[in-house]
Amino acid sequence: MRRREKSAAADDAAIIESSWREPERFAVLFDRHAPHIHRHLARRAGRQVADDLVAETFLAAFAKRDRYDLGHADARPWLYGIATNLVNQHRRDAARQYRIRQAAVAEPDVPGHADRVAADVTAQAMRTVLNAALAALPAGDRDVLLLIAWEQLTYQEVSRALAIPVGTVRSRLNRARTKTRQALAGTDAAATYEEITTNE
Amino acid sequence: MNEMELLRELAQETPLPTPAELGPARARLAAAIATDPAAGRPAAAPEVTTDQPDPSAGQPVEPPQPPAPAPVRDAAKLMYGGAGGTVVQLIIVLFYIGDIKAYHLTAGGHTLSTAQLIHLRPVVATLAIAFGLVLIALWLWMARAVGQGKNWARVLSTVLFGLATLQLIGLHSAGQVFWAMLTWLTGLAAVWQLWRPASGAFFKSARALRSRPPSQISGP
Repeated sequence: MRRREKSAAADDAAIIESSWREPERFAVLFDRHAPHIHRHLARRAGRQVADDLVAETFLAAFAKRDRYDLGHADARPWLYGIATNLVNQHRRDAARQYRIRQAAVAEPDVPGHADRVAADVTAQAMRTVLNAALAALPAGDRDVLLLIAWEQLTYQEVSRALAIPVGTVRSRLNRARTKTRQALAGTDAAATYEEITTNE
Repeated sequence: MNEMELLRELAQETPLPTPAELGPARARLAAAIATDPAAGRPAAAPEVTTDQPDPSAGQPVEPPQPPAPAPVRDAAKLMYGGAGGTVVQLIIVLFYIGDIKAYHLTAGGHTLSTAQLIHLRPVVATLAIAFGLVLIALWLWMARAVGQGKNWARVLSTVLFGLATLQLIGLHSAGQVFWAMLTWLTGLAAVWQLWRPASGAFFKSARALRSRPPSQISGP
């Protein structure tokens, strides 16, 4: 699956290069990657905010496409990097941060099976604990953790996306995982959730 | 279940957006694309080549060039700045040319006498102007040529920068060092921009476009 995505992205650089002469070619990049960028943004900031930020991400990418390093065939790390910057910028707006959190919490649940009600309630509690743990992480650590856990980018890709050395990616991931693990450990929700998912 | 698995499991609750949800974002991008300066200026329009001159004009017609990326535009701007700086330098040199002392100049290893200096001062002024004008012309020529995607100009600019580096050796006065360093740093910044990956792709693409056979010059 991931290999297929990678081969599909193999000519991103060629598309970007051709968009220097024919800007309309950039729309191909949107069609190819916008759904995944949108989902990443929705996970981090809620769907409503994602609708806006995905547009901002591609507008920013389009505006600076002539600075794209054509040595990198896959444009996803570049796009995730822009999206991450926009999310962080958005988060820094203290007045709106509350709304973002509410939007994320108000995310509609996927309808579950009747006998999973208990698990769903616990999953909701876990989500709350996890969201709190993620919110407590330093922004840089959180970016690395989510790009790897959710988008399954490699260390090298995260390094490109965030313009940091691979060693820093490793240390940030390690720190973020440790803190998240510590935050989850000892919570009743975590124990219950673990129990339910183990018994299933 | 560790924290990574938990994160992934919870992330699965967020589905991919529907095309309708992405519609407004795509419309905004389409609007930006439509207003881009390069939009509608394509390679599609003219079927012209250097091999098929327009009979009415009587001159060979250049094939269309791809728009220069930001690093190349920045390099060209720096070169125009270098030309401007050289103009200022030339004015300062001419302004102070009357203050040149005999011991500033040597000919064949011998310091000139005051009488010889008086005799040579117009020659020195003429040489200074000529040298200054050549430098200005070089800056402008290189700026124009790199903006047009000429790879030889990128190479020549780099060579000239190397020569300018040699020029730094043997400077004494603070003023000379200041101006030489300013020019050198401008050149360094321009050369750096010219060898960035986006610039390389532009020069490669411009060369490929120029070398295409006539039938391939038109757009898709």
